[in-house]
Amino acid sequence: MGAFLYGVFLQWKLDIRSKTLIITCYMVPLLFFAIMGGIFTSIMPEARDTLIQSMTVFGVTMGVFIGLPPSLVEIYGSDMKRVYKANGVPLSLGLVLTNFSAYIHLLIMSIILYIAAPLAFHAKLPENPALYFGSLAMFIAVSLSIADIIGLTVKDPAKTSMVSMIVFLPSILLSGIMFPIELLPEAFETAGKLFPASWGYRLMTAGTFQFENLLPLLIILILAVCVCVILLRRAAQD
Amino acid sequence: MNEAIKISKLKKRYGAHVVLDGLDFCVRQGEIFALLGANGAGKTTSLECIEGLRKYDSGSITVNGRTGIQLQSASLPEHIKPLEAVRLFAKWNKMTPDKAMLDALGIDALAKKQYYQLSTGQKRRLHLALALTRNPDILFLDEPTAGLDVEGRLSLHEQIRQLKAAGKTIVLASHDMAEVENLCDRIAILSGGRIAFIGTVRQLNETVGKHYNITIQTERRSETYESDNIEETLLSLLMQYRETGEHITDIQINRGSLEQHFMKIAKGEA
Repeated sequence: MGAFLYGVFLQWKLDIRSKTLIITCYMVPLLFFAIMGGIFTSIMPEARDTLIQSMTVFGVTMGVFIGLPPSLVEIYGSDMKRVYKANGVPLSLGLVLTNFSAYIHLLIMSIILYIAAPLAFHAKLPENPALYFGSLAMFIAVSLSIADIIGLTVKDPAKTSMVSMIVFLPSILLSGIMFPIELLPEAFETAGKLFPASWGYRLMTAGTFQFENLLPLLIILILAVCVCVILLRRAAQD
Repeated sequence: MNEAIKISKLKKRYGAHVVLDGLDFCVRQGEIFALLGANGAGKTTSLECIEGLRKYDSGSITVNGRTGIQLQSASLPEHIKPLEAVRLFAKWNKMTPDKAMLDALGIDALAKKQYYQLSTGQKRRLHLALALTRNPDILFLDEPTAGLDVEGRLSLHEQIRQLKAAGKTIVLASHDMAEVENLCDRIAILSGGRIAFIGTVRQLNETVGKHYNITIQTERRSETYESDNIEETLLSLLMQYRETGEHITDIQINRGSLEQHFMKIAKGEA
């Protein structure tokens, strides 16, 4: 347990030293919040009702899909995994530590938004904070699991950001955080349901717990974890 | 002397290509043993099979003791500091980093640097330190001095000698023949997936025979000749130069290098 906790703490420090994660987990989401929060609430005052949720979904999606895969490619697309193996460290450790650390960073960023939005833009706080944070915890976990697949599959760092964009952009545009999904063409509305951002946003904006919004996230999480296990086993045999 | 490693009838193929074709050899405890081979001879594959990093098709490998592995091609997160890496790997293996070992390898002195700021030599020293965190009985070093300058190479050679003096068994793969001649107690030369030679450097020289290089420098040119009969060849060459009227300014004669012997064995000429 001591080794694991030291690993999490170390990964946390490495993420802070790495400018990439600071930019993707904090700077861009908070800058986006500062600008879009101002625009949304001035042209659509009702946006205040869901500002925390929409900005959080953007921030988490940004941090997860743009920030995490490069860290995983650094481990699993390089000789680093052989160093782990050669020195008696399980190959899954890199994945677990990176996820734990990213989870903590994203949770902190989400809490900053939760506190700052009412102060800066008179955003409405979620009616049920426990449900909100429970939904947020689930949404972050599911998003991380999808990003893990990208990080374990793509070996070329240059291609990572392109593949991440394929998931990131539709997640943002089709999830309902920018504009109501009812306004989208039906095909886009259906496509949006493939991404965890749509379900995460629904779960976090709902005033009461609705299992039908949680189920898709659970299914995505289970499938993604299974794929990650297969990819890790394959990496161990390389 | 007890065996630290015993390899018996080891076979490995990639598709139709046979890389190891019934490899048999042993490494004695406390010795520095080198695996040599031309590219594709099966050197890295056999080393990785022994290290447990690669599966093999048949045969047996017995390793008596804890192992430490320094890979030729290795990397770490670019923002990690050397001591952090050592602590992480040591904690994971439930060991305490050996302060004396870290001092000897100069890891403490690198405390403030991040991995991407380290030179090739410093990275090699760090990876050697990581390999030593488990206090191994047997240490595998794959091309340990590749890419190092002369100073770094000599420093690492000294550290390897100290590890041997501390009772470690060291197995190294190298292309640097001078390194092998200076460091190793015994060598094995792989050719075509089999052991073409195993023994000491002296035994190798004796096996291949007395081979000489003669370099003759004149005012206009420098020529090198190879000979297995130094007296006959030298006399004949001196006569030739006398007949052509070229004025000899220098003559150098030396025994063939281990590299030449190795190439002969690898090509099946010896």
